[in-house]
Amino acid sequence: MILTYIHRIGWFISLILLQVLLLNNIHIAGYATPFLYIYFILKFGSDTSRNELMLWAFFMGLLIDIFSNTPGMNAAASVFLAFIRPSLLRLFTPRDILDGIEPSFKSMGVSSFLKYMVVSVFVQSAVLLTIEFFSFSNILLLLLRVFACTLLTVSCMIAVEGIRK
Amino acid sequence: MRNLLNFLIKYNYWFLFVLLEVASFVLLFKHNRYQQSVFFTSANVVSGAVYEVSGGITSYFHLKKANQELLDRNMLLEQQLDNLEKALRDHQVDSMAINSIKELPVTEYRLYKARVIKNSINLSDNFITLDKGSSSGIRPEMGVIDGNGVVGIVYETSPSYSVVLSLLNSKSNISCKIVGSQYFGYLKWEHGDSRYAYLKDLPRHAEFNLGDTVVTSGYSSMFPEGIIVGTVDDMTDSNDGLSYLLKVKLSNDFGRLSDVRVIERIGQGEQKVLESKIVR
Repeated sequence: MILTYIHRIGWFISLILLQVLLLNNIHIAGYATPFLYIYFILKFGSDTSRNELMLWAFFMGLLIDIFSNTPGMNAAASVFLAFIRPSLLRLFTPRDILDGIEPSFKSMGVSSFLKYMVVSVFVQSAVLLTIEFFSFSNILLLLLRVFACTLLTVSCMIAVEGIRK
Repeated sequence: MRNLLNFLIKYNYWFLFVLLEVASFVLLFKHNRYQQSVFFTSANVVSGAVYEVSGGITSYFHLKKANQELLDRNMLLEQQLDNLEKALRDHQVDSMAINSIKELPVTEYRLYKARVIKNSINLSDNFITLDKGSSSGIRPEMGVIDGNGVVGIVYETSPSYSVVLSLLNSKSNISCKIVGSQYFGYLKWEHGDSRYAYLKDLPRHAEFNLGDTVVTSGYSSMFPEGIIVGTVDDMTDSNDGLSYLLKVKLSNDFGRLSDVRVIERIGQGEQKVLESKIVR
């Protein structure tokens, strides 16, 4: 139990540092920025309560905001993601293996996990970038950025997943 | 109640979600200049519309007060206008007096400026009250004229007021003649229309035309010769057939008298004393 928490806090800190020190500085073609930190939220066990997940997500987002000087933006987006994650998980997981799994290629199957990741990342990017733009007057640019970020983030997540294995 | 509690417990994550999102957005709007400006701009559009409606409604509640204020203001302005008109009138009277003085022999007559403060035209015997009296040198039996002609004769005076026997009075009796001839009659008002009076006792052999000007004759002790009275409007024979009865259209509009002058003739008293001796 304590080991789980130490493990989780280790991931928490390292993902935040990775995000704020390295990934936030990546703007491929001015559009795509990887938001890898939500990998932390996606990897929670499926039996985690929504409240716990949202609190983790809030503080993670808040820390990233504090480092990147955008208070509230990442926090709002990741709380939203944490809020809908159980629903997404239920949507993409075969019913018989829902109990207490940690989402991964191995536990969910490649296609389910990929869909789960893509939709989650898309939702998070959409919320985050909408808040950042804060207007729909430039909706094409907004959509372009959402798709670009989703693509890059999912790629990074697959890479991390591959390394961890 | 129990169901409600169950419901709340079951969906408690909603509260946390809303709480965290609100916290995030508070932070967002508090610390991000761009989002803040967009948020407050759109918020201002909404609040502006709301305030416009509520302001439109509340302005009706202030109408009574606004009306009151306007009335006060109006009163103030009317007072100022009155004062200005008064000042203007004083100056006009000055210039009028100068013109009249030029016309009158200075040595023989003296003029006093006065203001009509009470006037009537529709009684059978009309009197006019002036704002100057014996303390200003006005005495009974003085003539009163204004820029348009004869007004009447001073009847009674008090220290600061005087009552004038208006031309529109059955007791009024002014010696008049027609310009260009020396024949004279006396002017009497026969009640009724304030614009007309009658010139009586004009000899039948006098020559004149309708429209001729009627002026004071100078034979009375009150008026100098040549003060305008009116114009001949119509002519008939008098009841006894010995003289003409002329209907005279008065040049003065008695309905709007305001500034008049009282004429003092030097030596008037002396003339009166002499005349009264003869009558006795």
